[in-house]
Amino acid sequence: MLRLIVSRLLQLPVILAVIFVVTFVLAWVIPGNPLDRSPDRRPPKAVQEAMLRQYNLDNPWTFATSYLKGIFLHGDLGPSLYYPDRRVDEVLAEGLPVSAALGVAALVLALIIGLAAGGIGALKPRSTWDFSSLLVALAGVSLPTFVTASVLLAVFAGLLSWVPIGGWDWPGWAVWTGAWWSGAGAMIGRMILPALALSLLPAAYIARLIRLGLAEVMSSDYIRTARAKGLSPRQVLMRHAMKVAFLPVLSFLGPAAASALTGSFVVEQVFSIPGVGRDFVAAVLNKDQFLILGLVLVYSTMLILFNLMVDLAYAWVDPRIEL
Amino acid sequence: MRYRLLLAAVLSGLVLATGARAGELRFVSSAELNTLDPQKMSWLQDIRIAQCLFEPLVVYRLPAGTVEGGAASSWDISPDQATYTFHLRPGAHWSNGDPVTAHDFIYAWRRAMLPDLASDYSYLLFRIRGAQAFFDWRNKQLEAYASAQDHSPAAAQALWDRARRHFARTVGLEAPNPLTLVVHLEHPTPYFLELAAFCTFMPVDPASIARFISINPDTGMLQQDPLWTRPGNLVSNGPYVLDRWRFKRDIHLAVNPTYWDRAAVKNDGITQLTISEVLLSLIDYHRGDVQWLPDLPSTSPTVADLANAGRSDVHKVPMAGTYFYNFNCAPTLANGRRNPLADPRVRRALALTIDRRIIVTKITRLNQPIAYTFIPPGVIPGYSPPLPPQPANPVAEARKLLAEAGYPGGRNLTGLSILYNTEGGHLAIAQTIQANWHQALGVSVTLEGVEARMFSQRLRQHNFTISRAAWIGDYRDPTTFLDKFITGNGNNDAQYSNPAFDALMHQAELQPDQARRMAILEKAEALMLADQPIAPIFHYVFVEMYDPRKVQGLESGPWNIHRLEFVSVK
Repeated sequence: MLRLIVSRLLQLPVILAVIFVVTFVLAWVIPGNPLDRSPDRRPPKAVQEAMLRQYNLDNPWTFATSYLKGIFLHGDLGPSLYYPDRRVDEVLAEGLPVSAALGVAALVLALIIGLAAGGIGALKPRSTWDFSSLLVALAGVSLPTFVTASVLLAVFAGLLSWVPIGGWDWPGWAVWTGAWWSGAGAMIGRMILPALALSLLPAAYIARLIRLGLAEVMSSDYIRTARAKGLSPRQVLMRHAMKVAFLPVLSFLGPAAASALTGSFVVEQVFSIPGVGRDFVAAVLNKDQFLILGLVLVYSTMLILFNLMVDLAYAWVDPRIEL
Repeated sequence: MRYRLLLAAVLSGLVLATGARAGELRFVSSAELNTLDPQKMSWLQDIRIAQCLFEPLVVYRLPAGTVEGGAASSWDISPDQATYTFHLRPGAHWSNGDPVTAHDFIYAWRRAMLPDLASDYSYLLFRIRGAQAFFDWRNKQLEAYASAQDHSPAAAQALWDRARRHFARTVGLEAPNPLTLVVHLEHPTPYFLELAAFCTFMPVDPASIARFISINPDTGMLQQDPLWTRPGNLVSNGPYVLDRWRFKRDIHLAVNPTYWDRAAVKNDGITQLTISEVLLSLIDYHRGDVQWLPDLPSTSPTVADLANAGRSDVHKVPMAGTYFYNFNCAPTLANGRRNPLADPRVRRALALTIDRRIIVTKITRLNQPIAYTFIPPGVIPGYSPPLPPQPANPVAEARKLLAEAGYPGGRNLTGLSILYNTEGGHLAIAQTIQANWHQALGVSVTLEGVEARMFSQRLRQHNFTISRAAWIGDYRDPTTFLDKFITGNGNNDAQYSNPAFDALMHQAELQPDQARRMAILEKAEALMLADQPIAPIFHYVFVEMYDPRKVQGLESGPWNIHRLEFVSVK
């Protein structure tokens, strides 16, 4: 196991270097001047050139060398070109925790909903329960997130006014200074709708994976043995069947966790959440080269580490797998 | 469509106000602020906030739009209109207690004139004597430095010292005493006060910025740490100070206790939320969390519905901007082929047959004023845009022109396409115009939708025949519109070139008498319109929402000028 971890960590810089080169080239060849503020007007040529030079954007070679110099000598990911008052590290430091908190909440919700729906379906195959869980899963997979998010928002924030209307607030110091519950309550209030909207798709996947996995496992020999020795159906399900049926969910969770943590464009847009999900799309549209590179490097690192964690968790859940 | 259904659901269940602090103006910006550096900004939302933080030499009195003293209490203008002497208000202070001096203005303007820190609007300062020459000189110095061997901090410092001395010697800005600023201009500039009110001309406090500026020994350039615009670092001289600025969330401005006209400020502060979704900002407005939606997207169907619903809290305001189509006027196209649009008769025929009324009533649905001139009427005092004569039967006239040009019935007029960028509702307008031309003239054009940056690149390379276009004026003078059509201007996308037009523009530049100057500029616009390098379609309006019973003193005009300190909130 240690060998796996060490070798994966040694591969990391190589993979990142390849990703950097590819992203750098792609970001550079996006047409247009990254400092264009509008498609309709441009400052005089000499001013445009001076502006590009301020960021070393007049030459790919000097840009690449100064960028790498910034990272290795100062740990600095450079400024955002679109938001010149912000640095990329700052954009990430402000946005990633927001997206990550939302992503974790959504994953937890997805697991709860998915496991419950899938489990019920598998326990009572072909029952009304099974069909309704299938229906919910189908809806979760088919409905685009912008529809579910907008409907949730309009009903629960607009019509019923149960929750705040999007936006974001960390509970902040309130958590540490006594008003613990109100801070956390406000936080949950703001998070519940976007987290729900974000969880529906993975919940549907998980439900279907569990339902199929359980259906297969439940007919296998060792489950019959477990039943034969007199275990209750619940014990059979929880202690024996679930563990095996969960394996495909686990491999789905790696990339799902990485993508949940780095935010969703649609949900962040609809709920006006200041995460990094929107930056992923906006950075490319704005040709914000520093932000593109910073986001891709951080996201790739997270993806690689999550996949490593999933592999480790696999071995833990299923001892037959050797690392 | 999805929004309209949802909106109906939302509006039917109006919910009561929550949590807005009394006396504070709260509003929504649909886009995050890009920068609070007045010399770097170009976006409307940035300029709106800058007008709260920084007080330029002169400001506008609304709604009339007359110019009144800001940081300057009075000024003298030389008879030739080329020298302006501003007398600064004694007793005006920065929020850190420093007095506001003439040097602060020179320092701020120098930042914009340096290629090291130059930005979109730097060129507006090139009207100051020696400014452009200084910019070019510094550029050459930096180039020489880059190719030299010595890149030591001392060499970079020496380079900068030279630049400072050169600036003081050659650029027409003087401060004979701390409260007097003398500005020498390249040419008579009767509209310099209009420029002086613009964000690029706002002052900054040198003492508070200096520690964020360093010299990069690799390039010899000054570089600025953007942290200077953060709460706690940013020092302002306007009615407000920056209290909180959370990226992509909100910004809060508190009333500036050191502001000289503190007593006139009518509210307890300003909060701007950043919400990019129309639906969300409407819910926020109806819940009473915010009182003002200043920039509802004019291409949203929901907004068009609201604007046509006859509500007393939805306001349509004309803007100093025009939506139009560019015709490439160059004799040959980028691909080397002969350009049929080089013949003004063809351009005129196309312009005559655009059904502008259908576009503003059925496509945009905001009933924008139909445009036959480039400059909107009534937005520049003293200037009336010359309305070209419209034929009684435009279609017949257009057919005749086309036949004269050698394309009877539209025959052989091929290879034309409308270039547009795919975001922002341009497709529907392009389709309408495509159909107009086909029906009226038998001319077939193709539609070419590309992404915004690609669009911009194609315009820059003049690689198009017809393109959708827009222009919003910056300051209240016709030159903010007409300069674009001077031969070789960087924004002359149509590649229009008429020596007579250029001569009139030059004549206007040297004319100190404002009334005569306006007459010359009117002639220039008429000449340009007759040549039809563009087809004006409509003048922009913007849609904002506020309840006039709750929000008073909000005077929105065509130039994105606000005096939010005079807004009171009930």
